[in-house]
Amino acid sequence: MNETWPIELLAAAMVLGTPLIFATVGEIIAERSGILNLGVQGTMLVGAVSAFWATFNTGNLMLGLLTGIIAGALISVIHAFLSVSLRVSQIVSGLALTLFGTGLASFLGRAGDNPLVGNPSAAVFKPILEGGLADLPVVGPLLFGHDIIVYMAWVVAGAASYYMFRTKAGLSLRAVGEDPASAEAAGVNVSRIRYVHVMIGGALSGVGGAYFVLSVRLVPTWQDSPIGAAGWIAIALVILASWRPWRAIFAAYLFGAAARLGLTLQTLGEPWSNVPSTLLATLPFVLAIIAMIVFASGERARHLGAPAALGIPYFREQR
Amino acid sequence: MTQRRFIVEPRGLASAQLNIAVPVFSVLAALVVGAVFLAITGENPLEVYGKMVDAAVGSSRAISETLITTTPLILTGLAAAVAFKMLVWNIGGEGQFLFGAIFASGVAIWLGDSVPSALAIPVVIIASAIGGAAWASIAAIPRVYLGTNEIITTLMLNFIALNIMNYLIFGSNSPWRDPDSPQFPQGRPMPDSTRIPEFWNRLDYGILIAIAIALIVYFLIYKTRWGFELRVVGDSANTARYAGIGVSKKILAVFLLSGALAGLAGGLFIAGPVGGLDPRSLVLGFGFTGIIVAALARLNPIAIIPVAFLMGGLINAGPALQSIGIPSATVTMLQGAILIFAVAGEFFIANRIRRPDRKTEDASEKAGAAV
Amino acid sequence: MADQDLHLAIELRGIDKTFYGVHANENVDFQLRAGEVHALLGENGAGKSTLCSILAGLYRPDAGEMFLNGEPTVFRTPKEALAAGVGMVYQHFRLVPNLTVAENLALGHPDLGQVLNQRELHKTATELGERYGLPVDPAARVWQLSVGQQQRVEILKLLYRDVKVLILDEPTAVLTPQEAEQLFKTMRQMASEGRSVIFVSHKLHEVKQVSDRVTVLRGGKNVGGVDTADAEPADLARMMVGRDLELPTREESDGFGDPVLTVSDLRVDDDRGLEAVRGVSFEIRSGEVVGIAGVSGNGQRELAYGVTGLAPPNSGRVVLEGEDLTEMSVLAHIDKGIAYVPQSRLGMGLAPGLTTEDNLALKAYRRAPYSKGVRLVTSTFKEKGGELIERYDVRGVQPGLPIRLLSGGNLQKALVGREVELESKVLILRSPTRGLDVGATEAVRNLVLAESKRGAAVLLISEDLDELLALSDRLLVIYEGQIVGDLETSEATAERLGLLMAGQSEMSS
Repeated sequence: MNETWPIELLAAAMVLGTPLIFATVGEIIAERSGILNLGVQGTMLVGAVSAFWATFNTGNLMLGLLTGIIAGALISVIHAFLSVSLRVSQIVSGLALTLFGTGLASFLGRAGDNPLVGNPSAAVFKPILEGGLADLPVVGPLLFGHDIIVYMAWVVAGAASYYMFRTKAGLSLRAVGEDPASAEAAGVNVSRIRYVHVMIGGALSGVGGAYFVLSVRLVPTWQDSPIGAAGWIAIALVILASWRPWRAIFAAYLFGAAARLGLTLQTLGEPWSNVPSTLLATLPFVLAIIAMIVFASGERARHLGAPAALGIPYFREQR
Repeated sequence: MTQRRFIVEPRGLASAQLNIAVPVFSVLAALVVGAVFLAITGENPLEVYGKMVDAAVGSSRAISETLITTTPLILTGLAAAVAFKMLVWNIGGEGQFLFGAIFASGVAIWLGDSVPSALAIPVVIIASAIGGAAWASIAAIPRVYLGTNEIITTLMLNFIALNIMNYLIFGSNSPWRDPDSPQFPQGRPMPDSTRIPEFWNRLDYGILIAIAIALIVYFLIYKTRWGFELRVVGDSANTARYAGIGVSKKILAVFLLSGALAGLAGGLFIAGPVGGLDPRSLVLGFGFTGIIVAALARLNPIAIIPVAFLMGGLINAGPALQSIGIPSATVTMLQGAILIFAVAGEFFIANRIRRPDRKTEDASEKAGAAV
Repeated sequence: MADQDLHLAIELRGIDKTFYGVHANENVDFQLRAGEVHALLGENGAGKSTLCSILAGLYRPDAGEMFLNGEPTVFRTPKEALAAGVGMVYQHFRLVPNLTVAENLALGHPDLGQVLNQRELHKTATELGERYGLPVDPAARVWQLSVGQQQRVEILKLLYRDVKVLILDEPTAVLTPQEAEQLFKTMRQMASEGRSVIFVSHKLHEVKQVSDRVTVLRGGKNVGGVDTADAEPADLARMMVGRDLELPTREESDGFGDPVLTVSDLRVDDDRGLEAVRGVSFEIRSGEVVGIAGVSGNGQRELAYGVTGLAPPNSGRVVLEGEDLTEMSVLAHIDKGIAYVPQSRLGMGLAPGLTTEDNLALKAYRRAPYSKGVRLVTSTFKEKGGELIERYDVRGVQPGLPIRLLSGGNLQKALVGREVELESKVLILRSPTRGLDVGATEAVRNLVLAESKRGAAVLLISEDLDELLALSDRLLVIYEGQIVGDLETSEATAERLGLLMAGQSEMSS
């Protein structure tokens, strides 16, 4: 068992990283339209509680996932409305959404006569291949031993990348995030694009949140804080991925590994298991800060391609 | 005819009534939203809200307890307001609060019993400000010298601070750990000489210190040269640089000041009611709530005082709700809703909506230099 | 009465539009024929840009009707206008800097399929460019292009959409005289294809040169339309201005004082790290106005920054009355006596969200009577603010409101007034009358001349040759970061300056 710890770590990292991929790609899409959405954490939680509730009451995983998607999209409309139509501070608006979403998810999980809290999920996503290819050394657990959502994450990232860089609609998206006034002059409907893509981002965050509570490998029991700080980390991952969906996969897996490292060290015995778990828990966050400083500072930040109009409210007819 | 349905135009200066009315409406709107969710889950909203009001101000004890919570909220509100005014997005108030508490309790324990209160308390309080500023500097220095976006760094630092505090209490044999309770680890209590005295039920003088600081911050921003420069940088960094103002220095100073204020909040809270590092009592979201206070008070230091009282009442209502079977998350939900409506309210303060007349004296939308 | 035989591409009736108390268009009628180049003439502030923005669908008029080929039409967005074949090239380009030329051409194009074929796009871009004499590199990112090249892309973008009506808003403001000639050729070619071109300008000689008909706007109203062939420049000028106006011009001076500002071999980088000022030297004496002419983007901004301390020079020296300022801070430059009116009013010279009083105090607030120690004396802000507002005729100020609500002319009067109040040794100005109406232009010119009379050394950096010729004692020309010409104003003609601005040394050719 001890010799295979890197494979184990990596496989676990892929599972832990999967919700991060969804949330990060979703936020990349939103930010590419120029809207900074700090509400990812709240959106993921709302997606999680909705998906859990739906699956709990129907036993159907896909229905749960769908509910999570819709809930995520709907709640992010709040941020879209505040940012695009009312043009208020996107930072405060996003924080407000997270606060509200966090409270709402916790509330819904505990409310009513038969609260969700403490209950395991009625159904879970399990690996699709039992035995066979999944038993191969190394590639087995890494490539073949996952549930369908892990593979879906790759598909989503790839589709997002193709959309952004190879299609006319994706060109409009990028133009809106770079220079909305010019895009408007070229005939693009800036408001509509921003609304749509913020909602897509919310939908994907909803999937990410849902996966946490519906995956057998994670924590499919409802509790107040089932996703840790995943939403916040996703926001950092967007920058590390340079706003490119493919790179989000690697960034997400890296952080999945960082989050998992504590457990892995425990299994390795002395002296590794002596590292205090509280300090290990800081690893993903420290990693994020270091990465920000190294990759997202000054000159490099400019070349790494943040959409030029990110976070700036667009006032039509201003020029 | 090419008439428009309605016109949105920038409002110049909002009247005092509007500046107050909009935040009030934000709170009311949030209460309505909360009521909807309560009703959906089978509760009686009026009963719930009644209980909350009772818990917040329904007795002299309740009021003094609310004031206790008001103290840190004034300071974290100031921390957020000061930073946001300069477009420095310090959302690390939580972590800076904790580090203020860590420094305060650390210094208090180190001072021990022998130093007289008159000296010990100020030292502890100053230590908390230093602690908060030091923690903020981890994000501030990369921001100022490398241009690193502070939103994510301050955010991440919150989580790191929490884990460090847990480590100090649980995971080590540090001076912060209470040697007298090895089974259930908790923070070592601070010596009595370092605790701020109480004067009304459990309320200590910290509230007066907080109010005084709010007044000082107000004076600083609106009545000094330094504050003028702050307002210029917050409006247009380019213009500030052109006018000879040292923008980087300003940003660093304000960032550290923000951290210090949040740290002070932690210090007053731990030297006041709490008395030692205790995660259950310290991790109450004061940092984030401070952002709500700042937003609702529209970044005005004086307005922060009453708004902090309102938020304090709201927070105190949480445990009371649990005692009647309502999730305390209702409070978080209401806080989020209040912030959403407060932010939306900014739109109505900054803009005016009206129907176009045939021959308008006024504007429709700003032309810029296009004419 | 509209001639029934001639096909009217566009007709406007009774167009009315107001911005913030400014009646930009008042009951304007306008007729555009197919296949003509129609000039829209008027001073800055006359309402030309507003009218065109309405034509292009960017603004909606408060009242009035529009007819496209005889059919009543309403454009609610630029997209609708483009779809109907009406497009505009704005003064501030609407290109996305980080995208390539080909991507900018493709953006929002209705006939393209969802999947983008880069190679096809590049081919189309190259072909279009060749057809109209506007060659471009499809793979270049727009921020890499010069201003003249960007304008070409803008025009090609519209031609790619097959626009029938092309509106050009002050297109020659960013071109050398020679580039302008090429543009006129392109315009005539478009007209010969049956397209219509609306050419907005305030320069009479251009209008005479290229247009078939002229409509003059003044104060928001249409004051008349004529065939260009029949129009006398003097008549047009009178229609534009409403009176026989002489804008302030420098008088012959009886000599200048000692050198005040000496710049030696200055080298300054731009914000991309490329050297934009490559060894510039000049000297300005007390009471002298030195003008620097050049097409935008040749290092003017970096030169101003280098002299004022806003950008640290790589090498060279800036000496003020014997004192070397080169390494000093911006604040030191201000204190030692350098005043600067930047080109960007609300982006740099003024803080848009602060009040007018606060803005007027922006350079003086550190000392009495504005402050006493660390404290601000707020009553001083009000008093002195009121004084300056009156002295410099800044209109439209409402107490407590942000300064950005003022019109361009009043903003500039406040900005220039504030700098003039400093009574500095050196006054540097960049494009001070750009976009201003006649009244404000007059006021600013008078202030500049008064400063030179007072004995200040004035450096006037501008792209407006009329302004430079009227105000300068001596003219330098900057091209690609170097001074390529140094003429007494009396010897300077538009042609000579044009050649120098385009990099044609007078020695060669």
